[in-house]
Order: sequence, then C-alpha cells, then structure tokens
Amino acid sequence: MADTKEMKSVLFGPVFANNPIALQVLGICSALAVTSSLKNALIMSIALTLVTAFSSLFISMIRNQIPSSVRIIVQMTIIASLVIVVDQVLQAFSYATAKELSVFVGLIITNCIVMGRAEAYAMKSPPMMSFLDGIGNGLGYSVVLLTVGFIRELFGKGSLFDVEIIPLVQNGGWYQPMGLLILPPSAFFIIGLFIWVLRTFKKDQVEAK
Amino acid sequence: MASNNESIGKTLGVVVSLCLVCAVIVSFASVQLRPLQQENKLKDIQSNILAAAGFDGVKNVQSTFDENIETLVVNVENGQQVQFDNEEARSAWIKAYDFEKSKFDAAMSIKLTKAQDKAGIQRRTTEAPVYISRAEDGSVNSIILPIQGYGLWGVMYGFLALENDGETVKNIIFYKHNETPGLGGEIQNPTWTAQWKEKELPVDLVKNGAKNAHQVDGLSGATLTSNGVDNTVDYWTGDHGFGPFLAKVREGALK
Repeated sequence: MADTKEMKSVLFGPVFANNPIALQVLGICSALAVTSSLKNALIMSIALTLVTAFSSLFISMIRNQIPSSVRIIVQMTIIASLVIVVDQVLQAFSYATAKELSVFVGLIITNCIVMGRAEAYAMKSPPMMSFLDGIGNGLGYSVVLLTVGFIRELFGKGSLFDVEIIPLVQNGGWYQPMGLLILPPSAFFIIGLFIWVLRTFKKDQVEAK
Repeated sequence: MASNNESIGKTLGVVVSLCLVCAVIVSFASVQLRPLQQENKLKDIQSNILAAAGFDGVKNVQSTFDENIETLVVNVENGQQVQFDNEEARSAWIKAYDFEKSKFDAAMSIKLTKAQDKAGIQRRTTEAPVYISRAEDGSVNSIILPIQGYGLWGVMYGFLALENDGETVKNIIFYKHNETPGLGGEIQNPTWTAQWKEKELPVDLVKNGAKNAHQVDGLSGATLTSNGVDNTVDYWTGDHGFGPFLAKVREGALK
C-alpha cells in the first residue's frame, strides 16, 4: 500500500509541478474552445476530471486481464462509455450548457490527457492510485481552464458566472469589453502567459537549451 | 500470466464481456435520463418561441409560455385552423408534434415535389403548429411560424415572428443548425437578426447592402447558408408553406 506522501504527490503533483496543459501541453484544443465563460470551463473541468478519474480506476482494475494487443481499444471503449454517460447526464440536468459545449463533451474521448493517463499510469498502477492520479490530472487541467475562463469572462464580458462584475458601456457603465478575449485565439495568449509565470517560479520546467 | 492474456480466446472474452458491460451502462443511462432530456428539449424550443415573440430574459419558461403563447394548429394546405373533437385531443396532438421527426411520419405528412421543395426539406407535415402571442387588450401582437430549411451542411430549424398584419417581420431565430461557426453560424448572431425587424415579406437576402424593406444583407463568407435562409423564408411564407394561412391573417382571420 502506498504511503500518504506518495498519494499526495500523485494527487497534487499534476496541479503545478507536472501540469498536463502547461508542461505536457496536452488537451489544448478544448482549453481554447470552452473557456469563453467560467461556467462552461467549470462544467468541462468537472466532466473531464470525472472521466479521467473513473476511466483510470476501471482500466487499472482490469489491467491484468487486458491483452496488450487490444489494450488501446479496451481503454477507448471504457473512456467512450464514460463520456457518453457524462453527456447524457449533462443533457438531462444542464441542457443549455450541454448545447453550448456540444461536441467538446464528446471530444473528451480524444482528449490526450485521458488517454495519456490511462496508457502511462493506470496500466501499471493499482486502482486507488490510478483514481487519485486521474483526479490529480483533472485538477491540473481544471486549474488552467478556470484561470483562462476567469480572465476571459471577466475582461471579455465584464462578468463572472454571468453575474455582472464590471459595469459595461452598453449597460451604462464605464468598461469597454475586450472583444478579442471572447474569441478562441485569446486562450493561446493566456495559456502562454500562464506557462511563462509558472516557469518563472518553477525553473526546473524550463527545457534545456 | 501475461502470456495467457494474449491467447485468442482470452482476447475475445475480454473484449466481448467489456463491450457487454459498457453497452448495459450506456443504455441504462440513456433510457433513465430520456424523460428529463425531452423535457429540456421542449423547454428549449419554448424559450426560443418566447425569444422570437420578443420576451427577453425569461426566468420561468414553462409558465411564461403557458400564459402568453397560444398554439394554433393549422392545416398548411388551406390555411384553416384544424378543429379537434375536444381540448384533450388538441393538446395530445401538440404534445406529439416534433419539428424534426413528425415530417417522416407518413400518416401526417406529404412528400414535396422538386418544384415545390424550395427549402430542401423533402417532406412537410400536413398540419403544423403556429404560435401567437397577444397584447394585454387581447389583440394578436405576433405570429410565430416554425420554419426549417437546408443550409450548407444540414437542416436549419428556427422560428419566424411576424407582426399581426402577417406581412411585417418581427424577428427570426434559428435554434438548431450545423452551419460553420463564425460564417454560416452567424445566422444566430443578434446583430444580424436585428436587421430583419420591420422588413416586409417577401424578403430577399442580397449582396452589397440592403436597399429597401424587402431586402436583408446576406452573411459574408456564407453565401450558401444565406441562400438557404432566403429559400427557407420564401418557402414557408409561400404557397406550399404558411402562405394560405398568412393570406387569411391578412384578411383578418385573427382579429
């Protein structure tokens, strides 16, 4: 049984030290697409964290039974089933968000983070640790998504969770929203800045020249 | 142990049993959640009808819809309202009607000939719902027609709201489409739909700027989508769409 120190590093390591987006640069596509509002970013984060955690758990539980010739297909089947369930739940309980996130929920299947963790970690580790690893990587993804979503919604629309924070010019306030931040390319700039800030504090992440 | 896993029997066994388990889970989730999803879909359509009628920021969709919107069932061919035996038959019909699926039900739809089928929808239902909202004094203030037509990538579903003269456009809303985001997808952009307000039927989508009350600026970079919208509106306000109904409205059928 793993000791608590190891569990802690598996769970919180991916948040900053080994962040899936900032260091491994995985899952960028959805990070650009769904972060124009904080609410979408939050729901996408929760969905991805759950899928990663449970797919890692299930894959790890049957890892000794999986024939290596079809292991990728087996992983995909488990991940795809979980994603469909998440999509169905979203359509039932949060239809507007499901409509807005549309294909990106389905695309969690192809999100490199989920596959990456299944192949790199869950195939070799016991279920409990794999589950924590899934949660940890989900958290790492969430931190970036929520940061980007926060900046984009606050300065792009003057609101957070659709509640107006900065009064906009069109509503009689003083703030002229930055239209660029609503468009997907702005997420590139913000993620770039995020990586820059992270590497200023964690010098070991800078690649050797 | 690893070597056992590689045998054909084991591989097949793992794959088949995994598929069975996953299939059961997925079907269970889908069946259990379907009633909730259908309710959400209905609510979504109702909120779009409300938006087309000019209700903004509605909190309780269901009750606002029930209070303000009246559903008429219209025989598309002759424009008459359909008479039901009783109120229950009527609400059952409305409940069963589906904007996407009903036209494939042979009992309640007809096939359109090539010449008729301007909007590229192949079939249409013989009877269709039309929504009206009334002002406080009871007079009709908007007529909302459900419209659908082929754009560039697929069928676009929406609502066209008209003033009570059956001639002046109030609003146009598309709630479901597969057009390219940023190009054809701009049919949902409020600044584009805003220019439809106060246009007179028949409306054409034109290049180089709208010059009169019968013209609307097309979407740049989305000629085929614009053509689709043009044809859709023409079809549904024309003879094979709600034209006969609108003719009756102009004669004062709703007054």
